[in-house]
This record gives sequence, structure tokens and C-alpha cells, in this order.
Amino acid sequence: MARSMCWHCQSEMAGEYFCERCVKVQPVSKDLDYFTCMGFPRRLTIDPRQLETKFYELSRAFHPDFFQNKSAEEQTISLGNSAMLNTAYRTLRDPIQRAEYLLDLEAGAVKDIRTSPPADLFEEILKLQDTLDEYRAADRASSTATTLCAKLQAERTTLERRQQDMETALQQLFTQWDALQDRGEVTDQTRAERDRILKQMRGILSNRTYVKNIVNDLVATIS
Amino acid sequence: MAYSDKVVDHFNNPRNMGSFKKDEEGVGTGMVGAPECGDVMKLQIKVQNDMIVDAKFKTFGCGSAIASSSLATEWLKGKTIEEAQKIKNTDIVQELNLPPVKIHCSVLAEDAIKAALADYQKKADGALVDAK
Repeated sequence: MARSMCWHCQSEMAGEYFCERCVKVQPVSKDLDYFTCMGFPRRLTIDPRQLETKFYELSRAFHPDFFQNKSAEEQTISLGNSAMLNTAYRTLRDPIQRAEYLLDLEAGAVKDIRTSPPADLFEEILKLQDTLDEYRAADRASSTATTLCAKLQAERTTLERRQQDMETALQQLFTQWDALQDRGEVTDQTRAERDRILKQMRGILSNRTYVKNIVNDLVATIS
Repeated sequence: MAYSDKVVDHFNNPRNMGSFKKDEEGVGTGMVGAPECGDVMKLQIKVQNDMIVDAKFKTFGCGSAIASSSLATEWLKGKTIEEAQKIKNTDIVQELNLPPVKIHCSVLAEDAIKAALADYQKKADGALVDAK
């Protein structure tokens, strides 16, 4: 990212993270998104090895250990850059966090997820939790417990299949997003496509944690 | 980080846990969730003559979420609809001494109150239309 001016020698900045003239480290702008910071396009499929390589490369450039004999300003910048780099790497490394982050960037605040709570799913979860409570309270040797356990097992199978479906759907959306970026053109059609992908992605991402939690509860209780 | 005594108390002795029938007259139901942590909260109020006479909750989530909703039901009882609207998540944060990372639990409780009130209002308005 070209900055206009080096903080130290005031010369025009041409280099990325270091001034070409005085070789001073430059602060990574807080406005820089993690994709740009790591030198990756805004895609949802990222080669983890490539990402790791870039992370190590930048870590070596920014690490505070290499700035111990430098000025206080440079030490501060090195610390700030390293912190940002770590967060960027952690975020982009995980496909789910990466997608959440992209949603943040592309669609603004994620907070409005809450405006449309998946009422059906909540209904289902609350009912299942009631059955779980019943099972926990029942005498394990009783026939009631056996019936409940079979029912919960069946629910678990269904939910786990749904989890699989969600992951598959997410993966497809990731691919669709990347393909759309590759096309690179902006028309009414691509804009509509973009919104559809983001919306569907957000829908799945905000439901998957609920499903994950109830499956964990199910697994912990019946196995 | 440890939970405050009040959170622990609400967690160990939750007040007003349970539920009303959703279609019962005067009952408003609010169901909300936090997609980040997957907590689910159901909060119900029973209203007679604009007064909340009873409240119940069911929460599946962390201790702070349970405590927030338990406290909310305690506060709701005996309040008018108008007074209930004014309950803020910051009041819950203060009462329970919630640390910054758990503030979203109190937001969830406030959302649940709002959702229950809105549901009650919707049902009441609907009943009015039916009566006409």
C-alpha cells in the first residue's frame, strides 16, 4: 500500500511497508483490511500455505525483536504492525472467520443479523432442549429413557446431516463469490448476484452456531 | 475472570424458569439468539390490564445469559408495558456486574424483552381487530 509520505524523512513513499529512502518501517494503516494487508484479493478460497508464507515473511519484517536497537517510534510501529498482522492471519486462516470478516467488509455491520432471528430453528432447539431435560431426569434403566434416547439419536442424525448440508452450501457460496470476483465486471446483474451470495452466506453463518451447540449438547448427553 | 456473586446466584437459583402456552391470552413471547455464540433465549410475559403479572424464561447459553434473563423476568413482574419498555441492557450490566465480554448477554435480554412486548402488542392489536 503506497502511503503518501514517509513519517520519518517525508519523502514520497513508493515501497510497501518500508521507506525506500531512509529504510524506516511504516505503520500499517488502521483502515487497511486484512486481505490487503496480507496481499491477498478478497476471495474466500485461500491457499493456507501461501497465506502462511506471507505471514512469516511479514512477521520477519515487523517483529519487535528486530527493532530493539531502533528508535522508540520504530519500536512502536513494529509492535502495532505485528499485532495487526497476527490478527489478520488468525482471521484469514480460518475459513469461517474469513467469511464472517468478508461479510463485515462487504455488507457493513453484521449486527443486523439479529433483526431476523430464525424463529423455526429456535422453536426446534427449545423443544429439543426440553426432551434433553426429560432424558436427563429419567431413570436410565427405564423404558422412558430408552424411548427418549432413541428419539434423541434420531434427532442427532438429522441435525448432523443438516450441518453437513450447511457446510456444503457454504462451500458452494464461497466458490460462487470467488467466481463473481474473477469476472470483475459490475453490472446490475452482478450486483444482484453479489447481494444474493452475501445474504445467503450470512443466513447460514448465523444459524450454524445454534445447530452446532445443540448437536454438542446432544452428543454430550446421549453418548 | 470470575462471575459476580449475583450472576452465580441467578445461575444456581434461576427465578421464573419455565414457559407459558404461546397462544394463551395476554401472553407475549420473545425468542432471540446470539449468532456469535449460539445462545438461545425465550422470554414470556403475561399481561393483564396493561400490567405484567407474570414472566418466565428459558435460556440455553452461558451463565451470564441465564442470569440476565432471570433478572429480566424478576424486573418485569409488576411493571406496566410502558415501564417495561424502559428496561435497558445497561441496567442489567450494572446490576449483575457483567464484564465487557459479557455485555452482549444483557443486550440479548433486552432484545428478548422488546420482542416479548412486541409480540404481546401484536396479539392484542389482532384481538382488537377480530372483535370489530
